Order: sequence, then structure tokens, then C-alpha cells
Amino acid sequence: MVGANDKHILETPVGRMNPITKAGVALFVGLTALILPISWLGFVFTALYFIAAAKGNILKPFAKIIFSFGIPITLMLLFIQGFYSPLNKTFILDCGFAKLGLEGVLNMLHIVGTLLTFLAGLYILNQTTYIGRLVAALNDIGMSPKAGYLTLATLNVVPQMQRRMHGIQEAQSARGLSTGGSALERFKAFIPLLGPVVLSSLTDAQERGMTLETHGFGLKENKHTSLVTNTNTPTDKAILYGAAVLFVVAVVLTVLNGVGIIAIG
Amino acid sequence: MKIEIQNLEHTYPTGEKALDGVSFTLDNNERVAIIGQNGAGKTTIVKHFNGILRPTAGKVLLDGVDIEAKSTPEWSARVGYVYQNPDDQLFLDSVRDEFQFGAKQIGMQTGRIEQLLVEVAELVGLSDKLDVNPFDLTQTEKKFCAIGSIVMMDPEVLIFDEPTMGQDVVGNDRLAHIIDVLHDQGKMCVTISHDMKFVVRCFDRVIVMCHGHKLLDGPTREVFSQVDTLKESFVVPPPITRIGQALGFEKTVLTLDELVEEFSKERAK
Repeated sequence: MVGANDKHILETPVGRMNPITKAGVALFVGLTALILPISWLGFVFTALYFIAAAKGNILKPFAKIIFSFGIPITLMLLFIQGFYSPLNKTFILDCGFAKLGLEGVLNMLHIVGTLLTFLAGLYILNQTTYIGRLVAALNDIGMSPKAGYLTLATLNVVPQMQRRMHGIQEAQSARGLSTGGSALERFKAFIPLLGPVVLSSLTDAQERGMTLETHGFGLKENKHTSLVTNTNTPTDKAILYGAAVLFVVAVVLTVLNGVGIIAIG
Repeated sequence: MKIEIQNLEHTYPTGEKALDGVSFTLDNNERVAIIGQNGAGKTTIVKHFNGILRPTAGKVLLDGVDIEAKSTPEWSARVGYVYQNPDDQLFLDSVRDEFQFGAKQIGMQTGRIEQLLVEVAELVGLSDKLDVNPFDLTQTEKKFCAIGSIVMMDPEVLIFDEPTMGQDVVGNDRLAHIIDVLHDQGKMCVTISHDMKFVVRCFDRVIVMCHGHKLLDGPTREVFSQVDTLKESFVVPPPITRIGQALGFEKTVLTLDELVEEFSKERAK
């Protein structure tokens, strides 16, 4: 997630987009890639996401995550599915120890394409959306402020604990506790750090709860307003509806393919 | 111990340059306060004294040895660091265990630990709370528990990060007493503080930081006499000193007694 001050990302067309649009696109496009038995479709979607990542100023980290995930998973699945898939009937290569099957390779491409489509969509959502805006957008579509706060707190707790852990690690190494060395030594050194992290997180949660109450968070009489607002522009709507229509078409095509009226793939 | 800071620069991974060529030397049992507005580089600089942070450029030498030569846990036997938030430091089941932890880590003899335990508990006022869980102490007591746990390691230098924060008058008096005792034992005490009354009461030398640079460095009275330069760093001298300055006294007064004395002299004229 980006911070509220990462203007170079938030001020881009993708950064300004309604978080619900981004989440909807990630979901509908991902599902489309999943249900349609077309092995290359996921790669087309991923290529389109590359354009979105470039527009959102996150092309470099995006490319890094897609390739660092995509290449190893492709090789691994190529080996498993290509050589050992029970679907294999047509063999395209004989490596001696096993034969490479066309059906397995196509299946592998479908799986990898689908995974990359979901990963790309969710990564762009995650890396171009300020968490406060996402929660405000969820509240806009009817999620209760309490559930919204819970989401916000859950997503914030990990980086918060990481920061805290870092501070505590420093304080303990200043007391002579060595946090380097072998795996066993590092594990032994890790135990004293856990206590303060967990305890202080509990205290923090309690204090934050009290702060919320003193700020009138528990009031039910009034509708809560939010400092963070989301606009739902015609472009947002068009993109979201487009993704939804794509998904509906995919469902129809899959059903028709299933009953044998048309043949895909 | 002698701490030499030579053209020290530090840039955080975010690209923020917190220190931009700072140099000074601290020696023996000096009592030094480092002051300045938030973000001036105070904490960054003292975190180099025991190697928690490493220089981006420049050098930090402890008794002539480069800070890079050892790890922080190794330096901790010689340079103690009391954190601003005691909750970062305390994690054991009793005050006694907290006091013994660091000393054991650096390999201190059991006999010496037992002897120090009595002395330190007395010094920080926790003699009757040795078996209490630190989590059940008040915030003030926790701070003294954290101080005690570092004093127990018998380091030559002690760094106190905002020690007066959350302290009452009794706590401040005890803190002043602890610094006096450590000074008499020959230990160097360095503090980072926004509490100017505490600074003039306990520290002989003041270093003023501003935007990663050293703005002023000298005896406390001399530093607080430079009103215009202090304004640059948004540091306000203690109230008594400001009264003296407003009355146009030649001497910069730091205590109530000095103010009365100067006032009497002026009236006699």
C-alpha cells in the first residue's frame, strides 16, 4: 500500500481511479481468465496491465514482481504439467526421461496466465491505492464504519508491528543482545523481542479503541462522514461495467462451450 | 572514553539526509546535552555512538577505534543507550531480571552483578520493587527500570534519550541525582532533551543541532547567551535565563539564585 504522501503514484490516472473500480477490474478480469479455457488469454490481460502499471508510475516494481513470480512458476509448472499431466495425449518433444505433452503445456499456460492476471490486477490495486481511500470507498458502497475500521486496522497492523520490531531490535542490541549469527542464535535472540512487540500491540489496540470512543466513533444516531472522499467518474463507471460485461460474456461462452454449442480452445 | 565525530554524514534509506558533515569530540566524564528542534539530527547522531546507525560518510572513533570495527552488542558494554520509550526495552518478568539481563549478555561476573544490583536499585529507587513485573510499574518507574538496566552494564558512556519526558518533580530530582553520581564515577553522560531547565541543571556542555548541522557547541552558559543564533534552531532558553536577558543583565543567568544575585547587584548600582 502507498502512503498518503506518495503523490507521484496517487496523482496519476490509475492512482486517482476509484479503488472499487480497480478492485472490480482485478476480480472480473481475473475470473474471465480463469473460466475461459483459452491458454493465451491471461497473457493478453497481463500485457494490458503493463500499460496500466506504466500509467500508474509503478512499471519497474510491477515488471519485477511479474517476472520474478512468472518465470519460476512457468518453469516449475512446465516440468510438472508438461511431462506428467494425465491430459497429455499429443507429445511434442521426447527428452528421454519423459515426454513433453501439448495438452499439459497448454494447461500450464492457462494456469500461469490466470495467476499472473490476478497478481497483476491486485498488485496494481495495492500499489496505487491509499488504504484510507479504499476503506472510504468500501464505506461508500455500504460497508459499516466498524467493519471499515477493522479492515484499516488489520492492513495497518503489519507495517506497524514491523516498525515496532525494528525499534525493539535496536533497543535490545544496545543491551548486548546479538541478533546476528547462525539460524539457531538468531531464533534465540528473536524470543526476547516477541514479548514487547505483542504486549505493546495489545496496549496500542486498547488505546486506539478508547481514542475512537472518545471521538464519537460508537455513535449510531448520525451517519458518519469521511475526510477522504472518492469520486466515481464516468470513466470509472465505464471501466468497471466493461469488466463486468466481459465477465458475463465469458460465463455465457463457457456455458455454451460446456453444452457443446460452440467450441473454444 | 573519547568519542570523536569527524565530518559525519548520515542519509536514511528514504534518501533523507539527517546529518551533513558534523564534527566534535567528547571526552572523559563530560556531561553533554544535544538540543535542537525535531528532525535536527539529534537522535541520528547519538545512534552512531554505539553503532546502531553507521556513518554514510565520515568517521566515528571510540578511543581511536573505528565504530565499524565492532557490532552494536559488542559496543554496548562500553556505550549504554537508554531509549525514550521504556516499552521498547523491557520484556522480562521482573525488575531484577531486567537489571541482570544486559550485564549477563556482556559476560559480567555473577558476584559483580549481585553487588551492582543493590547499588543500582538504590540509585534508581526500585530497591523494593525488584520482584515486580515491569509491566505493572508506573510509566515513571518503567523509565527508571530502563535506566537501571543500562547502568547495570557499567558502561563508560551513557546516552539518555528524552529522559525527563513524563517525569514529575521527584522523578526529575532523581534523574539529576543519577547523572551526578554517574559523573562522579567518571562516566560520560550524553542526553537528548527538549527540557531546557533540565539541560541547564545537569549539563556543562551544550551542542545545538539544526537541519543536520552543528549550530553551536560550548559551555551551557555561553550557548544560552547567544540568543540570536539560538532562534535559528527554534531553541528557547529556560524561563529564568530569559527573564535575565529581558532585564538586560550582562551575565547570562541559569538559576534562580543567580538571578536574585544579579538583580541585587543591579539594584545596588
